[in-house]
Amino acid sequence: MAVQTAPQTKQDVLVSTDWVAQHLQDQAIRLVEVDVDTKAYAEGHVPGSVGWAWDTQLCDTLRRDIIPKAKLEQLLGASGIDNATTVILYGDNNNWFAAWAFWQLKVYGHEGVRLMNGGRKKWIAEGRELVTDVPTSPPKTYKAKDPDWSIRALLPEAMSASAKRAAQLVDVRSPQEYTGELLAPPGLPETCQRGGHIPGAKNIPWGKACNDDGTFKSVEDLRALYGGAGITGEQPVIAYCRIGERSSHTWFVLKYLLGYTNVKNYDGSWTEWGNLVAAPVEKP
Amino acid sequence: MAKPEEYAERKTELAGWPVTIVTYRLGSTYHTTIDNTDPGAWVVKAQGTTKAEAETKALKDAQALLEKVKKNKPPTGCTSVPGF
Repeated sequence: MAVQTAPQTKQDVLVSTDWVAQHLQDQAIRLVEVDVDTKAYAEGHVPGSVGWAWDTQLCDTLRRDIIPKAKLEQLLGASGIDNATTVILYGDNNNWFAAWAFWQLKVYGHEGVRLMNGGRKKWIAEGRELVTDVPTSPPKTYKAKDPDWSIRALLPEAMSASAKRAAQLVDVRSPQEYTGELLAPPGLPETCQRGGHIPGAKNIPWGKACNDDGTFKSVEDLRALYGGAGITGEQPVIAYCRIGERSSHTWFVLKYLLGYTNVKNYDGSWTEWGNLVAAPVEKP
Repeated sequence: MAKPEEYAERKTELAGWPVTIVTYRLGSTYHTTIDNTDPGAWVVKAQGTTKAEAETKALKDAQALLEKVKKNKPPTGCTSVPGF
């Protein structure tokens, strides 16, 4: 079976730190920083960027879910973003939550969205300017599309993928989380009752897709990494982690850098599965 | 507007866990961040007027945090809902 590829390519979804530095005054783009560490933005950010907090602004704060459509429209409009704006996302931890934001913007059909390759780390390592002032811009009107659920897996689909091998599951957590030795990354809260992984899932930690400077590895290296584990794009793929942000990163790699067409992010991830009563768990 | 300077990154171990220590100076303040390398989640950060001050604070906090990490028994095979 031929490998299915999406029309978008690496050039469409990544911009370099050099490119960003040259486009700081570009009115057609809006820079947005999204960090794991929600205080990092206030300490210094790329000039002209706005900051979004993943834990309050990019989610439904009442129930566990992604950002509701109306809230997204409000957030983007208040950030000076309309439907024609190209959003350039970047953040710490090699763009973990920037990828989370990217995924959600794609759920709601935003066309122009890219990641700054290397994220906050590379910008700082290169000694580029940081500011602490928050940019002001006139609010705009943003109209989101209906959600595209083809890039999101909910629990029933993850269960089907595991039980019927209807899709390839990729667990992007660390090997110690995958085996159940750890319930959460060292230093982070444990959010599950059981350790291990979804039966049938392959373990390809998200960070293997990155170079030391935070940039993504070459397409050739990425193809070798995932293809070597049997994740070739010939079958549907579902990525998961602990709460869905690391798997957004892998989802981005598979869908946009490797061009696999049928890739979903299971954002319920291990925090959901590892708390389910009677759910099958595999170790190691 | 300021430019980060003296960016330095190194890897070491704290409480048996691999960590990555990043320090840079922004204006007159040194910023240190320590993450847990794999998966690279932010763990602690600190600021100081010298590099040593910032790193010493961050290392102390990271050490205390990582000493509390619990490890489960190594898995012994493929089982379902085994309990701990």
